Formats: sequence, C-alpha cells, structure tokens
Amino acid sequence: MKVKINNKEYEFQEELSILDAVKKAHIIIPTLCYSEKLKPFGSCRLCSVEIKGERTLKPACVTKISNGMEIYTHSEKVRKVRSTIMELIIASHGISCNLNCLTCSKSASCEIKVIAEEIGIMEVRVPPISSRVPEDRSSYSIVREPQKCIVCDRCVRKCAEVQSVNILTIANRGPDTYVTTFLDKGMGNVDCVNCGQCVIECPTGALHEVYQTDQVWNVISDNSKYVIVQTAPAVRVAIAEEFGAEPGRIVTKQLVTGLRLLGFDKVFDTNFSADLTIMEEASEFLERFKNGGKLPLFTSCSPGWIKFIEHNYPEFLDNLSTCKSPQQMFGAIAKTYYADKIGIPREDMIVVSIMPCTAKKYERVRPEMKGDVDYVLTTRELAKMFKLAGIDLLNLPSEEYDEPLGITTGAAAIFGATGGVMEAALRTAYEVITGKTLERLDFESVRGIEGIKEAVIEIDGLKLNVAVVNGLGNARKMLDMIKNGEKDYHFIEFMACPGGCIGGGGQPIPTTKEILSKRMKAIYEIDKSFEIRKSHENPAIQALYKEFLGEPLSEKSHELLHTTYIARS
Amino acid sequence: MEKIFLKSDLGKSFEDYEFSGLKNSLKMEQTQVIDKIKDSVLKGRGGAGFPAGIKWETAYHVEDDIKFVVCNADEGEPGTFKDRFLMENLPYKVIEGIVICGYAIGSKYGYIYIRGEYTQAIKIIRKTIQKMYERNILGNNILGTDFSFDIKLVRGAGAYVCGDETSLINSIEGERGMSRIKPPLPVFEGLYGKPTVVNNVETLSAAAEIMKYDYNPYLQLGTEKSKGTKLVSISGDVYKPGVYEVEFGKMTVKEIVNELAGGVKGSGLGFVIPGGISTEVLTENEWDVPYTYEDLFKIGTNIGSGGMIVVSKDRNYLEIIKNVSDFFRDETCGTCFPCREGNKNINKMVSEIYERGYPMKKEIEIISDIKNAVSLAARCGFGEASVNLILSILENFYAKKVK
Repeated sequence: MKVKINNKEYEFQEELSILDAVKKAHIIIPTLCYSEKLKPFGSCRLCSVEIKGERTLKPACVTKISNGMEIYTHSEKVRKVRSTIMELIIASHGISCNLNCLTCSKSASCEIKVIAEEIGIMEVRVPPISSRVPEDRSSYSIVREPQKCIVCDRCVRKCAEVQSVNILTIANRGPDTYVTTFLDKGMGNVDCVNCGQCVIECPTGALHEVYQTDQVWNVISDNSKYVIVQTAPAVRVAIAEEFGAEPGRIVTKQLVTGLRLLGFDKVFDTNFSADLTIMEEASEFLERFKNGGKLPLFTSCSPGWIKFIEHNYPEFLDNLSTCKSPQQMFGAIAKTYYADKIGIPREDMIVVSIMPCTAKKYERVRPEMKGDVDYVLTTRELAKMFKLAGIDLLNLPSEEYDEPLGITTGAAAIFGATGGVMEAALRTAYEVITGKTLERLDFESVRGIEGIKEAVIEIDGLKLNVAVVNGLGNARKMLDMIKNGEKDYHFIEFMACPGGCIGGGGQPIPTTKEILSKRMKAIYEIDKSFEIRKSHENPAIQALYKEFLGEPLSEKSHELLHTTYIARS
Repeated sequence: MEKIFLKSDLGKSFEDYEFSGLKNSLKMEQTQVIDKIKDSVLKGRGGAGFPAGIKWETAYHVEDDIKFVVCNADEGEPGTFKDRFLMENLPYKVIEGIVICGYAIGSKYGYIYIRGEYTQAIKIIRKTIQKMYERNILGNNILGTDFSFDIKLVRGAGAYVCGDETSLINSIEGERGMSRIKPPLPVFEGLYGKPTVVNNVETLSAAAEIMKYDYNPYLQLGTEKSKGTKLVSISGDVYKPGVYEVEFGKMTVKEIVNELAGGVKGSGLGFVIPGGISTEVLTENEWDVPYTYEDLFKIGTNIGSGGMIVVSKDRNYLEIIKNVSDFFRDETCGTCFPCREGNKNINKMVSEIYERGYPMKKEIEIISDIKNAVSLAARCGFGEASVNLILSILENFYAKKVK
C-alpha cells in the first residue's frame, strides 16, 4: 500500500502501525509509554501525528497505516501538541530547582531527558506538582519513588505481560492516579519476585534497586575486614555500556583491574562457583535420573524464578534442584574453605557480589542461606562506584582474577545467557555418563533468545528431553503445559529474565532486544576463548573437592551448597 | 412550545403499555427495523451524536454467535438528567428500545448500565425488567416468536468516565474504568470481545417510539440534519427547571429558556451552557440560535447531552470555572497524559485565578494550549471535550480585559 509521510511517498507491504512505518522511513517520533516488548497502550500521546482528513491527531503506536494515507509526523500542529504534553509531563515529574535530575538513579539513562530534546522544549510554563504518594522501601531489592513516576504503565505491563507476575497496578483516578501494589502493601510484601524488569522498563527514576554502595564503600575502607568480591558472568559483557561503549564489548580484565583499584582484597569470579554448581547439579540430575527421583529437574540459579515458583507453583517445588545459586555457593565456599585456607577468621571475611540482578539482593537475605553473601551490587551500581572513584574502566590495563576462586572455564561463562546452564550441564553430564570426551561442545539447539527452546540430546543411546525457558511469562506457560500433561522433560533450565542474566534487572539501561543479542554474542565469545570449557575439568574445582568437599553431593556439599524452598501461596 | 413525542406515553401504567414498538418490530425483518431507524437519522443522544441506525446496521452485519446490546444509563454529565427522567417515568420504553435493538442486530443479551447514584431509577428499572419477564416481553420466545432476549442490570460505581462506551464496557467486565483504544470499535469487538452496540437511554427510547408508528414519524419532525425531538434538561438560574421535549429547529435556545423554563432569574443572562459541561457557552449575543445540531455547531458549540445550564449575570463565573475544573480534574480516568496532567494543571491555575479574582493573559494562553493538546490528542471523547467550557468562559468574558 502507498502512504505519504511528510509529503514523500512510501510503499509498504504490510499493515504496519504508523510508528513502525515511519521508523522504516528513518523518521523518529518521540514515545514514552511505548515499548517494543509490550502491547501498545496509547497513553502518553506523544507519538500523535496528523493524518489528512482527520479532525484529531492519531497516536502512531496504535494507528495502522492504510492505502493513500497522508501522514504528517512533525507538522506545526503536531509539534505544538507534543510540546504542551511534554511540559505537562515534566511538571508532573517532580523535577525541582534543587536539580534533583543530577542525583537521580536514571540521570544517565533518562528517557524524559531524551524526549525533551527531541521535542525541543525551551521552557516549562507550569510549575511542578508533586505527588503525595510515599516512597516504597519495603523490598530488599527494589525502591519505588512515586514522585518521579509519570504513570506510563510500562512497569505494570512488563510485570503482567512479559513476566506474568502481576504485582503492580494502577489505582485511583484523576490526579490521584498512581502505580501501586495490592492494597498498597509495598513490593516487599506482595508476590513480587524482585526480577527488576520493571526497573529496566521504567523511563524515569521512579524505580531503582536498593542501593548498597555506601555499605560497600564503608567495608572496603575498614581494615579489620577482609573484603573479597565476586563478579557474575553477565556483568563483564554489559558494564562497558555504562561507560559509553558499544553493547557487547567484553571488559573482563579491565573489570578485575577496576575492582582492585576500588580496594577489594581479592577479586574472584562467580564463574568459579558456576562450575561448582554444574558439578553438584549435574550429579543431582544423574542421581535422580538413575534412581527414579523427581523429574523433570528444574535449575535453581535464578532467584527471581525461585520466588516465582514458590508463590505460583508450589506443587513443583520438589522438581527444583536443591543446589544454591552460584552467588550463594561462592559465599559459602569463600567463608569456609577459602577463609580457612588463607587463615582469615571466618567472621572477618566479607563477600561482595556484583550481579546483573536485583533478585540477588533478596536471595542474600533468604533465611535458608543467610550469611553466605554480605552485599550485592548490580552492574549499574558498580559502574557508579567506578565513576565515583575516577576509574576509566574502558582504558584500564588488563589483569587476571585471583586464585583459586577466580579460576574458571568456558562452561561457567555461558551461565550469563539463557541456555548456558543447560549447555554447561550437558557438557559435564555427557562425559560423566559416557566416560568419553565430548567432541562438539556447542549445543546450538539450546542457544538463542527465544523464550522457550526444546531439544533432545542423545548421550550414548540415552535420549534426554531438555528445555530452556527464559522470562517468567514463558515459565508460566511451560509449567502449565507440564501440569496439563502436554509436555514431558528430564531437565529444564529456567531464568526469570528475558534473555537470561544478560537481560537481568540490574543491567545497564536500556536493555533492548538488539542489545541483548550483542551481549549474548559476547558471552559465547568468552566461552570460545577458554582452553578449558567443561566445568569438571576446572583444576580449582577439582582441588576443592579433593581438599575439602570430597565429592559432589557429599555431606559437606549438602551442608554448604544445597538449600531448601518454601511454599508461599 | 413543548413538542410531545417521546413523552407521549407519560403517565401510562405498565399494565396499560402496549409495547407496540416491539410488537411492530417483531413482525418485520431485522433489516427493515434497521432501515427504519437509519431513515429516521436518529443520532446518539448521549452527546457524541453518532447515527444509531448505522451502528445497528454494522453490528447486524458482523458475524458472531454472540452479540450484545448495552444501554448506557451512566448519565454523569453535570446538568443532565433526561435519562433519569426516562428511566423513572417511562422505564418500559427504555427496556423496549433495548429489546428492539437486540432483535434488529441479532443479539440475545442486553445490559443496562445505570449510574450508581440513581437509586430510584435502579429500583424502577429492576422492577420493570421483572414485570417484563412476567409478561413474556423478556425471556424465551418473546410474545410467542422465535426471538429470545435477556437483560441484566449493572450498577455503576461512580466514575464519570464510565459513560464513555469503551470504559463502560471495561467496567461491566470488572476491569478498570478506562477507555479502550479504538479501533476496534465496540460494534466489532466490544463486551467480552463480542460485537456490541452501546446506545444511550434516550436513543433507545426514541427508537422504541419510532417503531410504534406504521410510518416514520421522524421524517416529519425537526430539520433535515436534526431529525426528531430532543429531551432537554434545564437547570440553573431559571424559574421552571425540568425536562422538556423540543422539536429540532422549532425553538431557539433563548425561547427554550424563556418559554419552557420560565426565563432567567436575577438581573439577566450571563450565559447558557447548552449541553452539559463539556460544551462551550452561549452568550447573550449567541443564544438566539435555533436548537439544532447544525446551528449550534456553526457557532462553535454542541447539543451535547442536552443538559442545559442557565447562568445569570449575578454569578461569579470564576467560581463556576473552578467547580467545572474540580470535576474534570477528579474524573479523568488518569490514563492519558494530556487529559490527566492537563486537567490537573488547569485546576491549579484556575484555583489561583479564582482566589485572585481575575485571570492573567499568560494563564489563558497556557490553558488554551492545554485545551488544544487535550482536544487533539486525548484518548477518548471525554478527555477531548474536558476543557471546552472553561476556555470558552475565559475567552468570552476575560480574554479581552486582562493583561
């Protein structure tokens, strides 16, 4: 069909939305309530365009093109309306003459700022009207600052449409319209799983993680403490974005240097305990498989997923692997094995985690494994600390992780992407079952960004049905299918966030589909760069079992590396 | 002179009411009923003025096993009380209209969504529905035909925006009262995703009245573009407030006020709000205008809901603006930015203007810009019209005088 956009003729094959059509014409229309992952909502009205013959402007996000349509995306009429709406948005957003923009959690990634520039706002003639809704600090993971909320509904829709968690809603009407939780109980007191996808989605600073940077600064400078840090696999492929680098830039070794400059006593790697997780989880799987234990086995690395299943599908709790997540395993080993090894009193050992995740902040305080980890920082928080310390991350010299808890494999590196845990487990399971060397290490069928992936893996005549699920909306679909008997598997990897940890709630903002695939590509590059790409071949892991744990699923392993779950329904 | 058409059965008891509109309809083909309503050019009497016949025809042609008729009785427009009048005095005609529409479009299910504050109307309609079931004018095989139809009464919970048809549909479904994005229009995908005709109380009653006659009475009433009669509810500074029936084109607004409503109280006319607080005011220079859709539109205002409010010179106009603005600030559903934030900011300015006693030029300019944004870009018709009255008062009575 033929469409005129700003007097220029274009031809389109499909019935696109005006927004998608003008994108193809390389015209940018400002949007706030629109998000590529969500159903269009049509509330901000910033994308309104003029259509010849129509009395009112039409929102480009929900209006479809039609043959012969004449669209004006930036006519004077349109610009004037956008500018007025933008003034109103700014007034509603609680920007004060204290320049609180500068102290905002989203100061570097604020969409309002970008749009204000796109629209060319020169003055705001209406004074700010602040919201009277109090802050929500009830959660261990996430803070809500309603005075910065513009009620675009994106967090509500992300929570419902993508994650199917449904804890956020819009309440009241008129000037009292606000985003809240059930009965205003706060995010910490409802079925929130702490995944932080709402934080990623929020165009303003109304949602952010619970900061622990102050505590970490304090503990680093406390000489009586021995402070070690672990970095999750997804952090190294994303943190560079906070410093203006192209997505997908790998800065593992600069990250290590930067952490040393911040003053950590040792810089270790969560990938070490990811390898350890594989040892335990692959063994657990084989044991269940051989002895008729509960299958399918569900992975347990993602604390958002864990809380989701505890709230929504408690009947499946026995399917969960009892393995703690790599973050918690790391803490448990560091505070026992490692502390003893270097002769530091266990109580003086402080473990800080750098995670792509907001749910890890909650996982840390779970009573089942309290004390393993002391502080959790997101990728974003660490970037802030680097900036505060004047650390020019991208240009730092390369340094290696400390030994022994920094010795890792390619198998651990891929934990950061959806399918990674499954692939790493398969690499180890294959060799344990067959006693043979696995020739092709790449299990392509479990890779990629799709929400649900399935594969049948043949190991010595044995057929393993596996699935990989990312995003909690997909997890719900999968669990319902299993419940209805439509699907049957041996082993399923679940990750709360779309794309896995690379798309975690603690990652740099924005996290778009395109950025996700770049981060994912980087993850597999890292895997390829390792000589050792199977967890059970990690010499430090082998030493750990020899010196301390004995063997996978030993009594000591159970005491330190395994956990329990509770039904929360 | 008041024209008695829709009111012609006033005073008739339920037992004496013949339901001839329905009886006639059931003897006709569905398309014949639709054609008659189409020919009458009966426009939606809720305020938007969309031709009812076209709505019915579209719904008739949409293929689906389930269709719905929804009677919009969420009469929330301040100054409007003609639907309440109909429900309290001619309840059987209201329901009859719903059943006729159901027959015409091929629907078996009807809803009547009544404003929650209308406790008396709710009571009467509920009783009427029950009696109609007893007389087999509702239920299975109505009056011995193949046609069956059920009606459910839903009570609104007090949100003005639920008078908007898509918000009303959300409300019936138990969802948040906020407009839906159009398209799809409700006639294609409405209540529970099914084809749905939403018509106002007066529209459906008028349809029932039209169907009562062997000929088409609307063709002999009103003007070419405004057919039939309209119930006008008059309140404010008049001696005889009430609901009057007016034939389009036969009286001017001035005559309606002076002859039907007994004239303006106090020391003279300030202005007339012709059709609820979403319409622009008429000043003394303008009110000698024939009461038709086209004539009012020509001078920049609207028939609206027919809720006419007369304001005398003695009133503090700024207090009125403040009152109207309070209403819209509180009643915007809060979804779209221009309406929610616009009305909030206007309210802040208007409150200051009221305190001060006069507006500043700058304030009128900003309110005018917001009105422009809201009317061009709001999500629903309610938002679009929310600043009309406020700005028209400021422009008519203050703009020239202020600095």
